[in-house]
Amino acid sequence: MKGLALFVALTATASAPELPEFRNVAAEAGLVQSFPNGGSESKKYIVETTGSGVAFIDYNNDGLLDIFVLSGPGGTNRLYRNEGNGHFTDVTEEAGLKSDGWSQGVCAGDFDNDGFTDLLVTSWNGLALYHNVGGRRFENVTVRAGLKQDRARYNTGCAFLDYDNDGRLDIFVANYVKFDFATTPKPGENPYCWYRDLAVNCGPRGLPFDHNILYHNNGDGTFTDVSDASGISKSNQSYCLGVLTGDFNQDGRTDIFVACDQTPSLLYINRGDGTFSEEGVLRGAAFDDNGKAMSGMGAASADYDGDGKPDIFRTNFSDERETLYHNRGGADFDDATISAGLGRNTRWVGWGCGFLDFDNDGWKDLLLVNGHVFPEVDRLKIDIHYKDRAILYHNNGNGTFTDISDRAGPGVLERHASRGAAFGDYDNDGSVEVVVNNQNEPPSLLKNAHKPAGNWVILKLEGVKSNRSAIGARVRLTAGGHTQIDEVRSGGSYLSQNDLRLHFGLGAATKADEVEILWPSGIRQIVQNLNIDRVVTLREPIK
Amino acid sequence: MRATRCVLALVAVSVAAQDPVAKGIEEFHKGDYMAAQATLEQALKQNPSNAHARTFLALSRAATGGCDTATNDLTAAYSGKNAELRRLAGLALVQCHMVHNRLDAALPIVMELEKQFPNDADVLYEAAKLDMKAWNDVVFQMFQKTPASYRVNQVSAEIFEIQGRYADAIAEYRKAIEKNLAAVNLHFRLARALLMESHSPEAMNEAQREFEAELKLNPHDAVAEYEIGQILLAENKPQEAAPRLERALALSPDFPEALLAVARLRAEAKRNDEAIELLERAVRLEPENEAAHYNLMLAYRNAGRSEDAVREKAVIDKLQRPPAGEFTEFLKKLGEKAPNQ
Repeated sequence: MKGLALFVALTATASAPELPEFRNVAAEAGLVQSFPNGGSESKKYIVETTGSGVAFIDYNNDGLLDIFVLSGPGGTNRLYRNEGNGHFTDVTEEAGLKSDGWSQGVCAGDFDNDGFTDLLVTSWNGLALYHNVGGRRFENVTVRAGLKQDRARYNTGCAFLDYDNDGRLDIFVANYVKFDFATTPKPGENPYCWYRDLAVNCGPRGLPFDHNILYHNNGDGTFTDVSDASGISKSNQSYCLGVLTGDFNQDGRTDIFVACDQTPSLLYINRGDGTFSEEGVLRGAAFDDNGKAMSGMGAASADYDGDGKPDIFRTNFSDERETLYHNRGGADFDDATISAGLGRNTRWVGWGCGFLDFDNDGWKDLLLVNGHVFPEVDRLKIDIHYKDRAILYHNNGNGTFTDISDRAGPGVLERHASRGAAFGDYDNDGSVEVVVNNQNEPPSLLKNAHKPAGNWVILKLEGVKSNRSAIGARVRLTAGGHTQIDEVRSGGSYLSQNDLRLHFGLGAATKADEVEILWPSGIRQIVQNLNIDRVVTLREPIK
Repeated sequence: MRATRCVLALVAVSVAAQDPVAKGIEEFHKGDYMAAQATLEQALKQNPSNAHARTFLALSRAATGGCDTATNDLTAAYSGKNAELRRLAGLALVQCHMVHNRLDAALPIVMELEKQFPNDADVLYEAAKLDMKAWNDVVFQMFQKTPASYRVNQVSAEIFEIQGRYADAIAEYRKAIEKNLAAVNLHFRLARALLMESHSPEAMNEAQREFEAELKLNPHDAVAEYEIGQILLAENKPQEAAPRLERALALSPDFPEALLAVARLRAEAKRNDEAIELLERAVRLEPENEAAHYNLMLAYRNAGRSEDAVREKAVIDKLQRPPAGEFTEFLKKLGEKAPNQ
């Protein structure tokens, strides 16, 4: 039998979507500082390749999303306050967020339920829990909270989640590899330090595994490591990066999906007794459709086909397809990558990703950002590049997507070594923007210059019995006969934090007929005839 | 004879300082072959019947290029009962024959060594070297004797492919096709090289055209049919892909990838029992095919056959475990190296 070709891809079906025009408005918005992250021409160590994330959070509760961008050494994480006029001001110093080191991931949540969104930053070498003090500044409470780690860990993705539904946010932290500068082999030193005949940084293969961590919120400002007791640490043969929480089997408890590099991705199913069972392989969410582990980086979730079940999308490496896992129900997944029209793009290393309804037609579209891990790849002069453009898929509303990247505006086509990406409507105009962390460059801020025709609504949920951030709250919204679902999530994308508010495109519908909220507390709330084209705050009812 | 030195120096032997044979063997293992020869020659003068000394003297001579004087004793040791000496002598004989371009003589020894020591890195290395030399010699002859033939372009393309120089490979395949429009497999190889070079839509389209061209020459080429089916699937043309994949399987009913592809079509059409039947056939044909086991696991799961699904998962877990062996151990050690922190 002949050898089979190593191919993938091609053009998807053409429809006539309302095209966006994404422009990078970072410079005019004041996001001008570069964020160092290892070498630009070559990278000696793997830690130079994986950073860093970015967040959209409203830290001062003024109703406007601010931006928090993470940095590698030589720079600092920066908080940019949204001034409400399209401009952001760097308030890092006054906010107490100046930093150094290899920051990786960021996730947000109000862990002490005081009404102000707190931040967790993961790094190679530790965690930093920043308590938001009245929306004015942040206090690093890592040690006091019991989150100081006893050795250098390569912490990556993170999420606040209330896994035991006790109304307090716990913390999940993914770990990549055990890494240190002294003992890690140098480029070319072993077979795992080569890429297409180029000596490159080593790993993750050949480097030791580490395990993921779950911290339980004790309710007094401290956390306890329950990784062993919860079963989280049992899965210790994967190189873990992006974290995506969600109630994938729709049983009212938060599960955890982790995108893992060169190893099976993990799906921790919450058993409801304080423990998790890792079931990624059997549930079809660990591999591609050939049973091969991909180089998973980021992950996002949405009900892309409108069947009422949350699906999962994962970004992967070049020469691999991205993966779209379609939820059959009960968190059993099928690989729907090809049938959904996502089989084409295999020349990029994908990182941050998110479902966004850019045209407000009620169907979640999909954007991912790219950039290779090896700057050295440019020496090969092939069609895989260190800096590359983003990819935007339009949801055709029939379970398939169309790649419209070439027609989606110059912001999508700009080439960067992108990593984290966060999604949110920073100017509350009903159109979702994307902020992207680019290695060794200023971030990109992708704004759609074309106002979408469809109506919209943004829901800001506020827990009372449930955690104040409403993380884990699930929403079912019906408008104009079309029902959509979504869930409030901390973390996600690639090591990043999206707007905690939920954006729904409504098409031509002039009101949201019904909004059903399943709060983590178990309370079910129904709101009817909701006004639209605005941000609506919904507070958990007390029963 | 640098390789010989490395190979032979691996053997550990205890040394009694006063014993001249032991001293000679020690010198041999240190790589001081000249001193070993002198010591062992002296020892054999004192006790000409010492077979051990004779063998290591022959090994030392072979290691310094003295194959002619070593061959008889190496041959004797190679036929002896001591497995390690047999291995060392066999390797030295192979190297001697290869130095003198006696590939016919080296080949049976290598084959016998591979039988006796199937997991030995040194033996496998010599076997690889011998095969490579034989291949190189023939290719060299081809280039000398038939420089204008399409086969020269084809073999050049194949070499470029191995080297990852796909653009060069593509150029050579095209030259080969120009010279021989009727040769089968060239369009197929060209298509494959195109896909290895790039995943751009243009490359995909071109590859599809080449696979179609291959099918014109050989309408029964199941793999070309399959590849076209895969391209059409990637183009999100499942209706066009399905008959191509079905035909690939019809042409070659034992083609595991086609079985998988058609099983996926059945599963998507909710014809799960048929999918299971095809996948069970695929795993019977290729018990180590991970993709087949994975898809069978999912098909069982979808059919509600949980126990069967769990059993298949266990097979997958086993198949995905890294293979045993020296190289894996080496990498494992790297992985287990404790960080300083």
